[in-house]
Order: sequence, then C-alpha cells, then structure tokens
Amino acid sequence: MTLGASVGLVRAFTLRRAVALVVILAACGGSAVPLALGEDLPPTSPEEIQTLIAQTDTPVIINVWASWCIPCRSEAPLLVAAYESLGDQIRFVGVDISDTQRAALEFLAEFGIEYENYFDPNRTVPASLGRAGVPLTFFFKTNGELSYVHPGVIDERTLALRIDELLEG
Amino acid sequence: MEFTLLWAVLVGVVPLLAVLRLAPLPDARKDLGDIVLTAAMIGLLVGRLAATVASGVNPIQRPGDIIIVRSGVATGWATVAALAWAVWASRPLWRRALDNAGPAALIGLAGWHSGCLLRDACLGPKTDLPWAMRLDGSVVGRHPTELYAAALLVAIGGLLWFLVKSRPHLAGTGLPAGLALAAAGATRLITEPLRPALGDGPIGWYALAIVAGLVYAATLTIRPLTSEADAG
Repeated sequence: MTLGASVGLVRAFTLRRAVALVVILAACGGSAVPLALGEDLPPTSPEEIQTLIAQTDTPVIINVWASWCIPCRSEAPLLVAAYESLGDQIRFVGVDISDTQRAALEFLAEFGIEYENYFDPNRTVPASLGRAGVPLTFFFKTNGELSYVHPGVIDERTLALRIDELLEG
Repeated sequence: MEFTLLWAVLVGVVPLLAVLRLAPLPDARKDLGDIVLTAAMIGLLVGRLAATVASGVNPIQRPGDIIIVRSGVATGWATVAALAWAVWASRPLWRRALDNAGPAALIGLAGWHSGCLLRDACLGPKTDLPWAMRLDGSVVGRHPTELYAAALLVAIGGLLWFLVKSRPHLAGTGLPAGLALAAAGATRLITEPLRPALGDGPIGWYALAIVAGLVYAATLTIRPLTSEADAG
C-alpha cells in the first residue's frame, strides 16, 4: 500500500468517526415530548412597569429578553437559580420583547421560568428606560432608584454581586 | 467574571508571552509559546462546550450558544483539555515543556485575573479593610477578590520561575509543572469563598488540581528522568 493510500484510509476513518460522533451528540439532545405551555403573557407598558417598581417594597430585577436571542438562552438558567434562592427577597420580572406569544411560552417552559413575565412586542419598556438591545437586566433598589443596568448576557459573578449590592442597599 | 473577553485575553497573554520569551526552552524542538496559546484556545473551547451542555443546551443543535463565552467556561474541563493538548503537542519533550510553561502560565493567569480592573469586576463580599474597593456609586466596601488571586499567582509563579532558572536540572523532573498546577488550584480554592456566586462553584475541580499537581510532582521527583528517551 502506498503512503498516499494509507493517508487516505486514515482520513476516511477519522471522518467516519467524526460524523458518528456528531450524530451521537445530536441524538443526545432535545426532547420529543412537547412542552406544557401556560397562559399567554399579559401585555405591559412603561407606565405599568413604573407602577410595579414603585409599589414593590423589595428590590426589583427586570430582565428584558426574547426567545430568539441566543445570549438570553444562556443567562436564563442563572436567573432561574437566582429566583429560586432569592425570590422571597427580590422581585424578579421578565419582559419579553419583539416576540410571539407561542415562542415566548415555549422559552419559559423550556427553562422552567416561574417568575412573572410580561409581553412587550414593540420594545416600549426598554425604550422608556433609555436602553435598546437584548438582553438587558435592570436592578432597582427598594426605593425604586435604578441601581445598575447590565447590557448583554450577564454572568453568575456579576449577577450575584449586583444582587448582593441591592440587598445591602 | 465580567471581563471584556479581548481585554482579558490581552492582559493574560502578554505577561505569559513575556515570561516565555525570558525563559525559553533551550532544547525545545517546537515553539513553546505556540503550544501554550493553542492549548489555551482549545481549553477555552472545550470548557465552553462543557458549560453549554451543563446548562442543558445541545451545542450541535444550537452552535451559536458556544460563542457566548461570557456565559461561563467549565474550568475543570478547560484545564484538562488544555493540558492534554500541551502534552500531545510538545511530545516527546512534554515533561520538560510543561515544567518551563508552568510558571509562565501562572503569571499569565495573574494577568487575566487583574483584567477585572478594566471592567469593575474585581469585587467580592463586603469588608471594612483599608484596601476595600467600591462599585461605582456604592458606599459598600468590598474585597478585591480577583486582585488577591492575581497577587498570589504572581508570587508563586515568580518563585517557581526563579526555581527553574536557578536550578536548570529541575526542568524535566515534573516538580515545577506539578507545583504550578497545584498552585493554580489552591489559589482558586482559597479565593473562592470571596467570590460572589449563586452556588458553590467548581471547588471539586480545584481540589482535584491540587491533588493531581502534587502527585505528579512527587511521582516524577522521586523517579527523575534519566534520559531524553524517558521524556516520551
């Protein structure tokens, strides 16, 4: 067997293994079981969000998200973990923008998000707070004062630190 | 850590390359800097893939998720992958290469930690100590946790680098690389309680790094390499 033929065999074998690995990994993910979807998200407005913040006697974290936003998928498990451990001390609110009701509900079901969420297809809430883009995370103190805005995907350290700062304040 | 990725890479890689240039591998058949940088990139990719899978996302179905590096990198898997690549790429002199790269890697890690200064991301729990730092607009003083880690890594990395330079026969014994791995794990383990977190953090991986580094150093120090052939 020539050297070229040997190299060709090795390459073909490596390619087959790579394809097999990709197929196996792809098969490991996803679920054929349809997710149970909840009620449609209630629509909201900047005024309603301002009222919500003003009438809440705890700090408020507002996460602006969309089902098509890749970074939002990435940070969703962190927000769920934060809500599960601190939901009694901080009010967590989600605002879904530029989305459809069905896609939003599938997103919430997929990540098991149980805190309150609102529907804002025209992006009026982030615009009223002077921000654009998605995701955005707003941290409001108990007195309603905006403590910090995090543009883009948030990481665990930053989320934990800003939550600690809210609770200290 | 909330670092701008490019800045973090820059402040980590520049000191790493500087130290590698100051202490080149005298008999290296390959470029140690290339090996270390490639190992870092592979570690980053594998660590990100592991973090993606751990968060319940299939990276084959959602490849776009992989590039969101700031969402987290699984430290343990990243370290294992980076070390595996470094060993494979520097064979047959992998033990000697690791011994030379170990101290430099600690200095590079220190630079990466100090990158927190660029993004106001150094801080941990509150403290009244005189060197406490504050978030913008806050009155709460906090431990500069990442700077503690950077200082520890610089101190240990500098000490190991001095050891390798002053006692060249140690290169290839496994002692510098083993101690460097253990020191990296110990630094993270010691400073982990001072990092804001929603969970416990990967402390098991840090403990494993300490044990693996010490075992590696002890094993090869007790049975030092006797010839170049042993290095394979």
